[in-house]
Amino acid sequence: MNEWASVLTLAAAVGAAVPIALAALGETLAERSGVLNLGVEGMMLVGAVTAFLAADAWGNLWLALVIGALAGTALSLVHAVLSVTFRANQIVSGLALVIFGTGLATFVGKPVEGVPLEVGLRPIDLGPLADIPVLGPVLFDHDPLVYVTILLAAAISFYLRRTRLGLSLRAVGESPATADSMGVSVVAVRYVHVMLGGLLAGLAGGYLIMADVPSWSQDATTAGIGFIALALVVFGSWQPWRVLLGAFLFGFARRANFWLQGEGVDVAAELLSMLPYVLTIVVLVLWGTRDLRRRMGAPAALGLPYVRDER
Amino acid sequence: MSPSRIEVRLERRLDTSVARDLLTPIVSILVALVVAGVFLVIEGFSPATVYQDMFEASFTTWFGFTDSVATAIPLILTGLAAAISFRMNLFNIGAEGQLYVGAIGASWAGLALAPDLPGPLAVAVVLAAGAVAGALWALPAAWFRARFGTSEIITTLMLTFVALFLMRYLIFGTESYWRDPLSTNFPQGLSIDPVAELPLYSDTRIHLGFVVAVVAAVLVWALVRFTSFGFDMDVVGSSPKAARYAGIPVGRTIIVVLALSGLLGGLAGGVEVAGRAHALDPNGLELGLGFAGIVVAALARYNPWAVIVVAVFLGGLRNAGIALQSVPGERVPVEVSLMLQGAILLFAIGGEVFARNRLRIRRRAVEVATEAVPA
Repeated sequence: MNEWASVLTLAAAVGAAVPIALAALGETLAERSGVLNLGVEGMMLVGAVTAFLAADAWGNLWLALVIGALAGTALSLVHAVLSVTFRANQIVSGLALVIFGTGLATFVGKPVEGVPLEVGLRPIDLGPLADIPVLGPVLFDHDPLVYVTILLAAAISFYLRRTRLGLSLRAVGESPATADSMGVSVVAVRYVHVMLGGLLAGLAGGYLIMADVPSWSQDATTAGIGFIALALVVFGSWQPWRVLLGAFLFGFARRANFWLQGEGVDVAAELLSMLPYVLTIVVLVLWGTRDLRRRMGAPAALGLPYVRDER
Repeated sequence: MSPSRIEVRLERRLDTSVARDLLTPIVSILVALVVAGVFLVIEGFSPATVYQDMFEASFTTWFGFTDSVATAIPLILTGLAAAISFRMNLFNIGAEGQLYVGAIGASWAGLALAPDLPGPLAVAVVLAAGAVAGALWALPAAWFRARFGTSEIITTLMLTFVALFLMRYLIFGTESYWRDPLSTNFPQGLSIDPVAELPLYSDTRIHLGFVVAVVAAVLVWALVRFTSFGFDMDVVGSSPKAARYAGIPVGRTIIVVLALSGLLGGLAGGVEVAGRAHALDPNGLELGLGFAGIVVAALARYNPWAVIVVAVFLGGLRNAGIALQSVPGERVPVEVSLMLQGAILLFAIGGEVFARNRLRIRRRAVEVATEAVPA
């Protein structure tokens, strides 16, 4: 019984990790270009509610996910305009995105609150693989987006390390003036990656609706996952694989109370919920000194607007 | 034909204009109303009617206006918390968490210390407990920033969620000192001793916290404007390197400012407990008052006096959404307030840029690079 509960928890943790991982991978791209977007939670909520409305109207799950992702992108464009073109304070702009996104999503979603959805993401059939004890449910009994997320982490890692465009991206995040003098358009690179961040956050929101929670409500849908994703980028030190690994860890923390109860350990859910945030602070502080921070990979120009004229 | 391209660039305005400073927020608000109006129309509401109802509910009636002022009380304090740190490029975005911890501290004092104290002293002790708790909650982030350069943006944000779950734990997770032992099915906070409750003004919901908040605004203004510490803040904020050369203790300035910011956030929590909730109330407090404080500070351009005015405006906006629920015939979701707040902030950020810069669009010939021909 207890082992069964552990297996189920591990399997559930994989699913719980997906939205966190998608949003955090997107934010990694944005931050790698030097733009901090604190608005992940807002973009996720808007993605979630538009995906819900689309699925409710047309019954096509994939179309709904695409629309959710596009809604997240639209919101991130606002942040890109304000922080890249207008060089406004990125922190205030990001938080404005959270407030506006939450307000918009709850306002638009009000009439459909609590309405159950007919469609949902189902595990793909991998035949006998899913029947392998322990490994089967943990590894081979998931919906397609679980595997897409893992492939995405691999793709982003390859993009950052092995491609010319990835090199430009890193240059823009580390030293925009140098990138600029090499002929890389700082503005274009930042726009594209902030919007990729919005796309993935919107997709993460849509995924929450389709897989995690089968109906729309603001509290139950994101419940602060957007902020966990922000923590995760730091926790994963801006590296796609570490971010993915951290997502599984945080996903496990989200589902661990079920398993702990099975083990007869009584820990309040509230204390478990603190874990990701406390862990992130601990990592930040352990890696505290400036030297280590550079080695850890924080983009040097993170949060700084780029102005070519000022010398 | 020589190739040309359109060039868009922002140029910093060299002059300042009071008219432009006043006009910018007004235009930003109007544009935000139009954009939010689009969503109102999509959902089948008439923006004109909704806005009129909101305005009347919050600003033109006596009860509406005094309620707006009452809601503004914690917003002034969290607005000051954001303003004092943001103006020197320190981003304490955790006033929300400092408010929660302030509420925990204040309600502890209200339960443990207040019963043995005379009225005014009990009130002072409860508010002070909230303020101290908030300052202590900001201290780790402040110290890490000053000592290691750890981003206070992330640490204060993380600590906000730790505070949120701590507060929930104290009421929902365990039979704590703060929890009413009689509330078993729906756990609630234990009410603080009535002696520590803030008195109300006349028949309104404005409590003594308003005076506390305004005094805090005056003190922040005086600190920034007239003290040498305020001067140190400005220098550290604009150039830590210059400050170090000038012999200003940079680390200490950072720690003190972030602690003061946390103190103001904690005081907001104390004022909420003593003035309104009268208990540690995880449901009643989850209003995002701390995050809204950042909106207040940004709209007020980190000016303490403007914080008061903007807080009353945003307080009214928050109340208006709730007031709409009692308008017969309309079913406008209460969240319209939040959407408007976000839209106003987004456009205010944009508007700020236009107030400070000139947008230049011009067509410019692209210089075709030609290699110099050796003579």
